[in-house]
Amino acid sequence: MDLPVRRIVRPGSLPEALAVLAGKPGARALAGGTDLVVQLRDGRRSADTLVDLGRLEFTSIAMHGNLLEIGAAATMDDVARHSSVRRMAPSLADAAAKVGAWPIQCRATLGGNLANASPAADTAPPLLIAGASVRVAGIAGERTIPLDAFFRGPGATALHPDELIVSILVPPPPSGPIVERFVKVGPRREQIIATVSFAGRAEIASDGRLHGVRVALGAVAPTPRRARGVEACVEGRKPDAELRREAAIAVQDDIAPIDDVRASAGYRRIAAAVLVDRFLRSAEEDRRE
Amino acid sequence: MSERIAVTIVVNGERRMFEVPAGRRLLDLLRVDAGLTGTKEGCGAGECGACTVLLDGLPVTSCLVLAASCDGKEVVTVEGLSGHGGRLHPFQDALVVHGGVQCGFCTPGIAVAGAAALARGFQDGEQAARLMSGNLCRCTGYDKVLAALEFARENEHGSE
Repeated sequence: MDLPVRRIVRPGSLPEALAVLAGKPGARALAGGTDLVVQLRDGRRSADTLVDLGRLEFTSIAMHGNLLEIGAAATMDDVARHSSVRRMAPSLADAAAKVGAWPIQCRATLGGNLANASPAADTAPPLLIAGASVRVAGIAGERTIPLDAFFRGPGATALHPDELIVSILVPPPPSGPIVERFVKVGPRREQIIATVSFAGRAEIASDGRLHGVRVALGAVAPTPRRARGVEACVEGRKPDAELRREAAIAVQDDIAPIDDVRASAGYRRIAAAVLVDRFLRSAEEDRRE
Repeated sequence: MSERIAVTIVVNGERRMFEVPAGRRLLDLLRVDAGLTGTKEGCGAGECGACTVLLDGLPVTSCLVLAASCDGKEVVTVEGLSGHGGRLHPFQDALVVHGGVQCGFCTPGIAVAGAAALARGFQDGEQAARLMSGNLCRCTGYDKVLAALEFARENEHGSE
């Protein structure tokens, strides 16, 4: 069945793409299409004109000084395997390898995963804990949006209709020993949308205390979000049983889960507590190793 | 009314031109416009893998790819997996030997995904299963498919 769109254009340059988006209400950018095509098919999103970004080839993944820049059109398969991503943001590489299954990963793009703004977007929690920013271009010029100010609600972002994501900027992780984990909870490993997702990172001091604690969760609020309460609770402390108990309680104020087709709000609350507990246990294990 | 768009795609090694509606999926271009009905539509949402084809050498679910996005690219379908003289791809041979086919509806996608997995390479059964996890089968199950994949890989190494 053909998708209900009137026109598709394939601009060969960024200015050309931006001009089409700015000039046509009802124009929508198309990257890998793994979310958008299904949404167009089901009538959950509509578009008069699709602006296929394939010819722009924003696919490079490269270091600029100590900053990692990932092109918006880099695929999950690219992101999961790239040595700089694995070194700079291991939980991002891990999350990219858990998006859909391999044929989806060969098509789905990092920029698309963010622009689609699902509360369950797999790559969002790892990028949130990495302190990533989104580089966007519009007719008026470029700007950089911190990822934690990018998501506005389910399917809604800070992008203007005539703006495109060009790349994602990832600052370097702390230089000392760190613990970093990504966990995706769901009925099977592949081809699922997360019931709850979790990313955590902390520096482990020689005395076992955790510093620079960053935790983010997906599918437990209208947007993927940092768990600032947990971060404050854990900061500067040792991940013992007492802290694990406190942090599992603290996370409850960081999240606002709902009942939906994938799980109940109650299940998500329990899962969030378990994931926080597990992360702190892994911090303790990593220190012993 | 949907505009039509001209696309040139190398399909199974042959450069072909098509003029299709703007919203045409690669899956429908292959089945309707190119007459290659080996590729099957299962879920139409990228979840079952029956419509898997190679796009510039990598597996994609053709129900989620627009035909227009494939202009200038290379597509290989199950019809294009076989070599000269109609010889089956080693993984297709292995599927026959190991009984990895029952009703056959998922098989074109599985054959293409398996060929892609062999090209990518894998270390062990766990990695092989992960590469094949986008392909659902509701009758044979997966053991025979994965056994066939391992068999094809071993034979590949044997012939080197």
